[in-house]
Amino acid sequence: MKYSVLVIAVLLIAAAFIAGCTQQQASTQQTAAAGSQDVIRVGVIASLTGPASNVGTNMWQSAQVAAEKINADGGVTLKDGTKKQIKLIVGDDESTQAGGQKAATKLITDDKVDILVGGYSSAVTSAYEQTIAEYKIPYIVTGASSPIITHRTDIDTSYIFHHCPTTDTYGQYTTQFIDQVIRPAVNKKLGAASDRPFRLALLYQDTAFGKGIQTAVNDTITKNKLNIVLVSQQSFKMGESDFRTQLTAIKATNPDALYLGAFPNEGAPAITQARRDIGLNTIFLSAENNDNAQFYKDVGQYGEGAIIESRFSPYTAPAGAVASAQDAFKQAYFAKFGTYPDMMGASTYDGVFIAAKAIGNAGTTDKATVRQALVDLKMPQAVEAMKDQTISFSPDFRDSGFDLWM
Amino acid sequence: MDNLSVFLQILFWGLYAGCIYILLATGLNLIFGVMKVVNFAHGEFLMIGAYITATVFFLTGFNPYVILLLSMVALVGIGAVVERLCFRPILGTGKLNEIFLSIGLIYIFQNGAAMIWGDAWQSVKSPYDGITIPIGSLSVPLDYIIIMVVTAVILSGLYLFLKKTTLGMQMRATSQNRKGAMLVGINVERIDIISFGLGCALAAAAGTLWVVSGQVFNPYMGSIPAVKAFAIIILGGLGSIPGAIIGGLLMGLAENGAAFLLGGIWKDAVSFIILIVVLIFRPTGLFGGKEG
Repeated sequence: MKYSVLVIAVLLIAAAFIAGCTQQQASTQQTAAAGSQDVIRVGVIASLTGPASNVGTNMWQSAQVAAEKINADGGVTLKDGTKKQIKLIVGDDESTQAGGQKAATKLITDDKVDILVGGYSSAVTSAYEQTIAEYKIPYIVTGASSPIITHRTDIDTSYIFHHCPTTDTYGQYTTQFIDQVIRPAVNKKLGAASDRPFRLALLYQDTAFGKGIQTAVNDTITKNKLNIVLVSQQSFKMGESDFRTQLTAIKATNPDALYLGAFPNEGAPAITQARRDIGLNTIFLSAENNDNAQFYKDVGQYGEGAIIESRFSPYTAPAGAVASAQDAFKQAYFAKFGTYPDMMGASTYDGVFIAAKAIGNAGTTDKATVRQALVDLKMPQAVEAMKDQTISFSPDFRDSGFDLWM
Repeated sequence: MDNLSVFLQILFWGLYAGCIYILLATGLNLIFGVMKVVNFAHGEFLMIGAYITATVFFLTGFNPYVILLLSMVALVGIGAVVERLCFRPILGTGKLNEIFLSIGLIYIFQNGAAMIWGDAWQSVKSPYDGITIPIGSLSVPLDYIIIMVVTAVILSGLYLFLKKTTLGMQMRATSQNRKGAMLVGINVERIDIISFGLGCALAAAAGTLWVVSGQVFNPYMGSIPAVKAFAIIILGGLGSIPGAIIGGLLMGLAENGAAFLLGGIWKDAVSFIILIVVLIFRPTGLFGGKEG
């Protein structure tokens, strides 16, 4: 019996060690940062574990590529002429609201970061916005796309800046694309009258993110009186992996296209199950967060002909001003990690540059001054195509404006 | 698709989901029936089974339905080790110890799997991917037919093992009356370790079928199914294998019916609504006896 107790104790200690491994990695970075006064501490909140870890890891790695580039170029110049290097400190939100709260609190109170970047999943990010409001830390949100992130009125969001198209924006863009491009093409292919209503189905995550897309699609159709009929609107819980029943219901409505408001780990199986198991061979449209290497790998041949709304792709980009910047970022990322960055990585890469620029413009790490610098920010677009080729935040809800593509 | 076809299709997906639940819940009930221990980490055995199958498949390209056997054998071993080192020392010391031990095991297995395999989601493509079989008005993928057949074969094998073999009869005897079993000379500790291993093997089978069906998986995949497996065995009656089978089927059908009629967010909730209703009218579960 004594031997067994000893073995259990060893097992439990091993478990504690294993559980602490991720944290250990974060702490090493953090010690380097907190130990020096000559650095700007940038906290990165990302989902390093849990269901969103694929995207979260990409965000964290992209932030590292950005910090290395900034530091290699001399760092950030402050008011007194001193140059400071950037030190990143990561906080793992564990893909959960409780984890997000822990990560944000630790970064702010223990690591004493000067500014925060990151945040994926609107449900997770909105859970710790109260902490941001309480401590008044400038936070550039680069992954959570629900408009509630900066539009909510129950707390002070004035320190939160949204460098990520909202579900309102891309829901609207996608619906307009359907109306202007897909609807005429489908009617032509079917030999139908040009005024035949387009039959659109929605399959969305039952969270602020998914519901945001659903609302945007409905509002865009109503406000613009588009000739689109929503034949089915099915929801699923976050992290779902079996969509067959909802897809069966959607197939019964005979849709011309299915728009998925889903994360990549949901979107890929949903498309696969639709085509392989249900025989739903329609046009699939996905939200921009699905522009992710793992998504393409998982969806395989079933993704043929699917359409993704995007602003950064690991594989392709329209020719234009940002194409060369994107290539340079992808090469730097590939050289360091052996894979390609995804869209959330790209906006987090931009987010670190925005943080550096704002602190540089403020000339100090004083939080209120940095916040004002973000309000006044006008900087050239980096790796994402921005409205007027400029990164700036709207005066009302502090959203930056993007040029999106399909 | 007409309404009947839609209904049959939803029924089919319910049966498929039921198969996974049945295997998981039957394993859990086997362990509970014999040892009377509460193991919340049972879903983690499903996860490990899924990863073993996926890893061997990625490395060798063998048919995953064949690898299922390897995965089950591996989980018999892992289950035996866990029973011997973790559950046996605390047997009879109170449910609280069992609950906290199993919660600890959840973290150990999840973090261990994340260290070995990473915690990003993964998926496997079955060799029969894309092959469909016409059944009446439906056209269903071959994989789901195989999954149902495999589940039926495993359950039939389990039935024969419990009914026809000496070891199976000893397990049933231990399950019915542990002290009585000891008095007639059955080595109940040996029965415990075999039951735990067998229960874990059934979880591994559930994990393998989950993977083969094309659902994504990651180290955290077992948590929700484990909770549902508990709901199923309470619904069916603690310790009752037929209860776990009927409960699992009922759960699969109810979830898919609710997702169709009420929306996807009701998928998880409906199982527990049924559980509460059943417990109000029959507190021992559908097939539970007095001791249940």
